[in-house]
Amino acid sequence: MLLYQVVIRSCPEYFLPEQRDAMLSVLFHENTIKSGAISKFAPAFLLVLLFSSGMVHADIKISPEKVLLDGPESTQQILISRIDKKTGNQTDISNLAKYAITDPKIIRIDSFGLIEPLSEGETLITVSHEGEQSRINVKVVGLKNPKPVSFEQQIIPLLTKASCNSGGCHGKNEGQNGFKLSVFGFDPFADYQSLVMEGRGRRVFAASPENSLLVAKASARIPHGGGRKITEGSLPYKRLLRWITEGMNYKSENTSTVVALEVQPSQFILEPNGSQQLRVTAINSEGTRFCVTAEAEFESNAPNIAGVDRRGGIQAGDNPGEAAILVRYMGEVNVCRITIPRKGAPFTRPNENNFIDTHVWNKLSMLGIPPSDLSNDSTFMRRVYLDTIGTLPTAAEARKFLENTATDKRTKLIDQLLERPEYADFWAMQWSDLLRVDRDAITAQGAIGMTRWLRRQFAENRPYDEMVKDIILAQGSTAAESPAAFYKALGTPEIISRSVSQLFLGVRIECAQCHHHPSEKWGQDDYFALAGFFTGVAKKSLPTGSESIVGKVGNDLKNPRTNTLVPTKALGEKEVSSLVVTDRRELLAKWMMNESNPFFAKSITNRIWSHYFGKGLVEPIDDFRTTNPASNEPLLEELALHLRKNKYNLKALTKTILNSRTYQLGIGTPLNINDEQNFSHSINRAMPAEVLLDAITQVTGIPEKFNGWPEGVRAIQVWDNRMPSYFLKLFGRPVRASVCECERSNEPSIAQALHLMNAPEIVAKIHARKGTARQLAESKLTAPEIIAELYLAVLCRFPTDKETEVLQELFKEAGADRRTAVEDALWALLNTKEFVYIH
Amino acid sequence: MMNELMKRSNQFCDGVSRRQALRIGASGFLAGLTLPKLFQMEATASTGQAPKAKSCIFLYLQGGPSTIDMWDMKPDAPAEIRGPYKPIRTNVVGTMVGEHCHRSAKIADKYTILRSHSHNDNGHTTGSHYVLTGNRPNFADGANSRIPVNELYPSLGSIVSRELGTRGSVPPYINMPHPLTAGGPGFYGAEHAPFVIESDPVQPDFEVKDLQTDERLSELRFKRRQRVLKGLEKDSVQSGRANTMATYYDKARDLITSPEARKAFDLKSEPEKLRTAYGHTSLGQCSLLSRRLVEAGCRFVGVDHGSWDTHFSCFPSLEKDLIPHADMAFSTLVSDLQDRGLLESTLVVMMGEMGRTPRINDKAGRDHWSQAQSVLLAGGGIKPGIVVGATDKTASFPTTEPFGVADVLRTIFHLMGIDSDKVYRTPLGRPVPIVSGGKVIKELLV
Repeated sequence: MLLYQVVIRSCPEYFLPEQRDAMLSVLFHENTIKSGAISKFAPAFLLVLLFSSGMVHADIKISPEKVLLDGPESTQQILISRIDKKTGNQTDISNLAKYAITDPKIIRIDSFGLIEPLSEGETLITVSHEGEQSRINVKVVGLKNPKPVSFEQQIIPLLTKASCNSGGCHGKNEGQNGFKLSVFGFDPFADYQSLVMEGRGRRVFAASPENSLLVAKASARIPHGGGRKITEGSLPYKRLLRWITEGMNYKSENTSTVVALEVQPSQFILEPNGSQQLRVTAINSEGTRFCVTAEAEFESNAPNIAGVDRRGGIQAGDNPGEAAILVRYMGEVNVCRITIPRKGAPFTRPNENNFIDTHVWNKLSMLGIPPSDLSNDSTFMRRVYLDTIGTLPTAAEARKFLENTATDKRTKLIDQLLERPEYADFWAMQWSDLLRVDRDAITAQGAIGMTRWLRRQFAENRPYDEMVKDIILAQGSTAAESPAAFYKALGTPEIISRSVSQLFLGVRIECAQCHHHPSEKWGQDDYFALAGFFTGVAKKSLPTGSESIVGKVGNDLKNPRTNTLVPTKALGEKEVSSLVVTDRRELLAKWMMNESNPFFAKSITNRIWSHYFGKGLVEPIDDFRTTNPASNEPLLEELALHLRKNKYNLKALTKTILNSRTYQLGIGTPLNINDEQNFSHSINRAMPAEVLLDAITQVTGIPEKFNGWPEGVRAIQVWDNRMPSYFLKLFGRPVRASVCECERSNEPSIAQALHLMNAPEIVAKIHARKGTARQLAESKLTAPEIIAELYLAVLCRFPTDKETEVLQELFKEAGADRRTAVEDALWALLNTKEFVYIH
Repeated sequence: MMNELMKRSNQFCDGVSRRQALRIGASGFLAGLTLPKLFQMEATASTGQAPKAKSCIFLYLQGGPSTIDMWDMKPDAPAEIRGPYKPIRTNVVGTMVGEHCHRSAKIADKYTILRSHSHNDNGHTTGSHYVLTGNRPNFADGANSRIPVNELYPSLGSIVSRELGTRGSVPPYINMPHPLTAGGPGFYGAEHAPFVIESDPVQPDFEVKDLQTDERLSELRFKRRQRVLKGLEKDSVQSGRANTMATYYDKARDLITSPEARKAFDLKSEPEKLRTAYGHTSLGQCSLLSRRLVEAGCRFVGVDHGSWDTHFSCFPSLEKDLIPHADMAFSTLVSDLQDRGLLESTLVVMMGEMGRTPRINDKAGRDHWSQAQSVLLAGGGIKPGIVVGATDKTASFPTTEPFGVADVLRTIFHLMGIDSDKVYRTPLGRPVPIVSGGKVIKELLV
């Protein structure tokens, strides 16, 4: 636009007067003119004059097509994209385009495309970029007689955006310096009271709004511990003043609430280091739409891939990958997904073993990340043993597998492992962690009962839905072989429901006990509505001294904040119409197992996936949210469908996963090592404490002695989580205090290293009279043969020539004392990082 | 610059960094940022000046010390409150302590008594949780039998470990001779768990777990093993956790082999005279070992000293064991640190989870009393030789501004150069600042 004006005005001699007038009238036409409109109107020769050849290769698109601003603090974000005429590619230029306003008294616009009203009327904005331009009509109303500000609807989001009510500031439980707000503004009435009524009313001063403590503090005109949160003269500042001036209304006559958020664009591809402006539109219960870009909050789930600023401007980094931007406004959330492909990376699609590979390759090829090669047999074997049955292969097993030349030996091995008794031991142990089988909480009998029950489920490969149904509907003695003790460990309906939700649905609703979930739609009512299903669960003392779980009728719960009854209902569902059942839990179980349940199948699929890959498709694995999408949504969908089709057969799902090429990939390459989301390579994972102890036991040939347990029992079989064991404690055995898988710590520590290296217990095992080292030393095997045997037992592979050479030195040095040499070699292998991790 | 401030999508209370603040101040760009505000930022900024305390020795008198019989005497109160002990003069004019603290009385110019520490959690496990993590527990007292009891919130030692790391060959956070009740890492994870020396240095057979090379191994053989291990791993590349583990292996090896580290744990090399001065008691020898560990670079030593829960017939055990042990250990530790020029850089804190009831009960004991406890602090930037705060005539409640748990923690972190407002997220995503609320106790600072 400006360019037109400049050219036309500065070079009048090139134009006939009538041509010039015609052109200016086109330029200043008061109606909305879409992109390309000018070129239609303007004479062709002008274009040739104005734009040197080759410049006209892109269109500018403005969204929306026209703008209506209603109210003094309303704003509108416009999005400007450049459309390449040749390729059709769209690029966001909202922060690059030049903006010119025909009547600058009406509105103003910042360099990122955010429009603010100044006075009522109508005007045009001309957007220009690299010689192309386009225009948009803007109308401003509602400034002379604005609608009164509503605290509930307009001040709360303002306080939230300024982070006044965040958990680190006035939103924390005890408030900050005497001024307390509800965190994220979930309790507007309490906030209204604390602003308007508390502190002897000193926080707002209607007679002189700008001298209100609230305004003076927020703008840091007087010292404020949190610094300046709202700039003087800004729109939020003006709205605060207007609210106080108008007498601090709690509600306006317009009582419609925000029911949905729309974010534009909601999904797009960005180049490395590219940028994109977002627009957020709120939709209220009457269907009115209004722009809240300036008022919404933004948060990136992967700031190293793409960060987002307070204005909703996204900036991509150097790394290819994906990010999800969480957008939050008035308790509603939405998400925008970004893909940043690697530029110009060659991608050759490897073979596909099954649909898992199809989806993973799809994703990787889109991102331009090449997957690693297939892992070698020994890496695969060690990995699949430890992952599936928590047990290291023996030297003999390793040798047999490595020397086997059959092409289907991996598939065969997977089938064999899933039938081994250790499978049930290992999975029962992991589920004991999740179901809180804590001896001190549910008694020894309870812990044994539950462990046995779990072992049976996995040994018989019970369909997962049936197993969970048994847990949800558990009744009877807490000391029997049943899951009833789960309820004994949990206690109140609230704790039960949030544990069940996290464990079986992957929904962490815990936050909503005290406040609205910060990144989901769940509020306090949803929390207490779900807990209502468990109000009938009661404990009854039995004459034997043990307890029994009984399912009674139950009742609805009250929301303690509003003190009103909340009708029992499942997450995101309507109220349960009829609660006339003997046990409400049946209704919940029915809803969970229903085919259309959005959480149940996906949650367990993701849990299993995460076990085998060290990372969930959704991460954290029990935190499913719109705002926390799966890294590969189609893959999760199809896996969950696969599980449902197979009637929740967990072994079948496991087989599919283990047979995929994706599971069998090798370690990262320079081209994919930075990929942490898309399973392009295998990652090192720590062995669980029990598995590591069993592995050391097996390799050294000396069983661990557990106090009170028969000799030879393995750590993964021990049901007693309180059994004293320095080793297990040190390597992160969970205390079973929560249903979160995150409780099992797999972080390394100095004490761990010290223990593996120097613990007398481990040294004793290595040196034991009946141990592996002594046996090998006394055998007829040659030094290289012994070394090979040790490598097979510890690392499940043959040594390289160089490794043999290094270890053979021990034999030479030790001279006739082979025993010393073998012991030292075994010690060294047990202390390689290769041993401690699953690769 | 404005942009720089506004661009941050997550602003916390301390959203403006000190560097930004100084730049803003210098350019005068933000008129609202007044000079007092800037000074306030200076005062709270963690990076402002080199912190005084490089390490902290935390003597935890578990069970609740009877500070009314030690550091906050009430000679004018009735007999059932003042107890049998007489106050004695110290080398600071006007400061009196209990007669059984006569060793500390002689060096009262080297430490400070905070008499107005007060909080309202009267349980042992819950109180320990509160005092050591700054957060209230979500369990009832006695309802959690785990050690450590803090499952979610990190203890102050774990925080110090995370923020400062090690500065020598020993681990940054050590507990002895047991793990502190609430000394765990919480959601920070095993990496910041204390290295626990579960062996009492007063015992003749004291040794640190896994530190002594097995007697079956000659030094030669140990070295050979290390050499072979190195040879095997020379070409392997570790990533992620395995890489961290490799680093810890190096540190562990240092611990075993480095003469410094070995020396740090070798109490026997201390002159007998000094060992006796510390007292041949658990607390005494732990304090001595703490000093050695601090010399070797440990950041936070938590000494767990129990048996202070004196509900019944408390005075015999107080005067025969508990008070003399604490008196010897504390006074010798402070003097010893000073003699070695370490007091400046080492903060010593001695406290329990609570004090004890002013009124002696019908079983001749004192019960739990969290409303008033005297805390002893020395070194590391603590203003020495003063008394901060006072309690009423029965030592029931502070009569001056009460200083709570958050205030004490903030002061410790401030002295160690840790920003108490730094926020970490729990696994559920909830932001948790290092300390919620509270303020630095200015009166205690040099």
